[in-house]
Amino acid sequence: MTDQIAIHTEMLTKHYGDVKALVDLSLDIQAGEIFGFLGPNGAGKTTMIRTILDEIRPTSGSASILGMDSRQESVEIRRHIGYVPGDLAMYPNLTGRDTLTYFANLRGGVDWSYVETLANRLGADLDKKVGDLSSGNRQKVGLIQAFMNKPDVLIMDEPSSGLDPLVQREFQKMMREVAAEGRTVFLSSHTLSEVQRVAQRVGIIRHGKLIAVEAVSDLRSKAIRTVNIYFDAPVDSAEFVGLPGVREATSQNEHVTLSFDGQMETLLKVVTDKFHVLDITTHEADLEEIFLTYYRDEEVSV
Amino acid sequence: MLANVATKSVLERWKGILIGAGSIGLLLLMGMSVYRNVDLGLYTSMPAAMRGLVGIAEDTDVGGLAYGAIYASYGALTLAALSLSMGSASIAGEERNGTLGLLLGNPKSRTSILVSKATSMVGLTAVGTLVLLAFGLLSPALLSVELGDMHIPALAFHMFVISIFHGFLAMAIGAWTGKNGLASGVTAGIMTISFIGVGLFPLIDALKEWARIFPWYYYSNSEPALNGVDWGGIAVLIAAMVVLAAAAVVGVNRRDLRGQTTGVSLIDRLRTHPMTKKVADRLAGSARVSHIWIKTLTEHQGLMIIVAYIEFFIMGILIGPMYTFIDEFLLDFADALPEAMLALFGGGDLSTAEGFYQVETFGMMAPIAVMVVTIAIGARALAGEEAGRTMGLLLANPIKRSRVVYEKTISMIAGAFIIGFATFAGVALGSVIGGLGMNMGNIAATCLLLTLLGLVFGAVALALSAATGKPRLAIFGSIGIAIVLFVINAFLPLSDSLAGLAKATPFYYYLTSDPLLTGMHWGHGAILAGLFVVLIAASVVLFQRRDLRQMG
Repeated sequence: MTDQIAIHTEMLTKHYGDVKALVDLSLDIQAGEIFGFLGPNGAGKTTMIRTILDEIRPTSGSASILGMDSRQESVEIRRHIGYVPGDLAMYPNLTGRDTLTYFANLRGGVDWSYVETLANRLGADLDKKVGDLSSGNRQKVGLIQAFMNKPDVLIMDEPSSGLDPLVQREFQKMMREVAAEGRTVFLSSHTLSEVQRVAQRVGIIRHGKLIAVEAVSDLRSKAIRTVNIYFDAPVDSAEFVGLPGVREATSQNEHVTLSFDGQMETLLKVVTDKFHVLDITTHEADLEEIFLTYYRDEEVSV
Repeated sequence: MLANVATKSVLERWKGILIGAGSIGLLLLMGMSVYRNVDLGLYTSMPAAMRGLVGIAEDTDVGGLAYGAIYASYGALTLAALSLSMGSASIAGEERNGTLGLLLGNPKSRTSILVSKATSMVGLTAVGTLVLLAFGLLSPALLSVELGDMHIPALAFHMFVISIFHGFLAMAIGAWTGKNGLASGVTAGIMTISFIGVGLFPLIDALKEWARIFPWYYYSNSEPALNGVDWGGIAVLIAAMVVLAAAAVVGVNRRDLRGQTTGVSLIDRLRTHPMTKKVADRLAGSARVSHIWIKTLTEHQGLMIIVAYIEFFIMGILIGPMYTFIDEFLLDFADALPEAMLALFGGGDLSTAEGFYQVETFGMMAPIAVMVVTIAIGARALAGEEAGRTMGLLLANPIKRSRVVYEKTISMIAGAFIIGFATFAGVALGSVIGGLGMNMGNIAATCLLLTLLGLVFGAVALALSAATGKPRLAIFGSIGIAIVLFVINAFLPLSDSLAGLAKATPFYYYLTSDPLLTGMHWGHGAILAGLFVVLIAASVVLFQRRDLRQMG
């Protein structure tokens, strides 16, 4: 079913009074794909998810999941999806197992051996009351709830919040397995690194508008890096402005900070020719920097 | 002092206070205009003990009756209820919401936060009192009613003191336990029992002096509207408040703050014990979550057990034997009262056991009891899950929104019938124990009408819940509607020209047919049931049309 469309939206728009939470969002997500939905807080990610799940109704436009209309056939759609809401809350007085039993009953039953497998993989404690769990452990119950009926489409809003790095890795593995079986994952996130690790494509949303859909490999090549270089003597930032790939340079005594998106090799060559380098650190720019750098123009022009 | 904490609390609550006090004020205006058309001859000859039952002053006139019936009882109860909800929320409410830790992350002591909360509670209650006082002074002028020698400011002052007393009581319990529901529940229970006790105890010789154990006694016994401020009674209440405030300070400082943790119930303990694990697991676990309606019902089990207990033991079993102790003199007197007068007592004729039960149990307490349960279930049904952010998760399952409404309705019906049955069982047993010989079928009929009445107002709460997704609005909106309709039904029949309007209230179809004496009035039952069905249908439509709310 790889050439099938799992999620399709057409000019999807949602206004809250004067606030335009979603504007003309058109998107196709293929079955069997892990699709990352990226955007800063308040960009409209959650609104988009709540709209396609019929929690809220679009002001205009339409959406469909697995070819079914999000409004007319919402009950049938929900038979085929798993959902992890953002800022997950559950019934504090029920244990994890009670909670899963409750939802399993509403779905007409699940394979409990699979639930146990999931619980073991994530290290979830199902015998404690949900209200007594830490947020990360509560999140695990939410994830099991979404995975347990082996849904065709998994829709998850910031699903890894509160999970420790080891569990996050296991969770990423679980998502890849889902995709490998031809099922679809829609992953909303504001952390670029997580999305890069699992997704094939990402959509970037800002102020309710979908401003880009890119393959992860393309995005990576665009990614700006922050480069810190430490020298044995004070340097002037002006020395670095204008070097290929340097977008911005600031210096403080023996230390210079560059916003860089060029070839590392060229930079190193130039710098080591001129100065004595003591140390270099480099890290990925955060999502907001990428937005500012690459998508400011698109946003204005849209 | 923490002006900003106090200010924030005031900003959160002022609407409720103004609406509460304002509606009582409007009721006063309405009551007074109704009383203008009533012959007051007999009121003045009532024995003091009987007047205590409805809070009417001696040498009464139109003004006195309206103040007595509306201000002194409903007004004081409403104002006290508002204060106690502020009091219980002050510490325990912030703990329940998980915001107390955040608040205490600032360089403020627990004591100073408590003081700010107390300040806002007292201040807002004072504002409510002033609104009531303004209505109390303006209404007679508007309607050209002579007030005679009434001390309205004194009455208002007494109302203010008894209200903040309950606020401090709830605050102290909340500060010691950190449990908001417990604090408001226990305080409301004490308030209700003391209100009933102060009315009832003076009717029975042996219990007369015992009325002093109730806080309400120090508010109402001196008849402040007639005799001015009773500084002795006020001093008792103020002394009690000082103790409670001190207890609150000690309580909040000595214990660990609660996280957003859950309580440990008996069934939880049984679940951890190897011998009982299997059965308890079934009860608390798989059986509890087998259907939406069963799960909903179990969420309200604590409330239902308490209410059913009160209905069964206090309002049911206890009232029967008590009737046999009542003064012969009072009964003879009650026999001579005209029909219109009886409306004040909940329509009951005190010379019969049925009438006594109607006054004490069915007139006001039983409707309140069943409505507490149905409104709690109805208001939280949809809006509660939205406020708790679980509705999205629930509706991610392949179920229609209408099914959620229907299942929540089933749990409301079950809850109403549990309270209705507890009342029936209690009254039936009370009649047997007291040797009153009441007709069992008639008791059952009355309890059925009671259950239907409760369902109507539960459905009002559900409809508000479905339309708005706001639990507080659904709770206070439906309680407000119930109070207004109750008072309309109780007082409009006193005036010939307005009597017909009572038929527009659900309360009319509850007791007007005298079911305790005449049995089931199927027509009235059908009207209540029809109203319930219409409201549920409206809830389904309202809920389906709307965007789910997103909190936080």
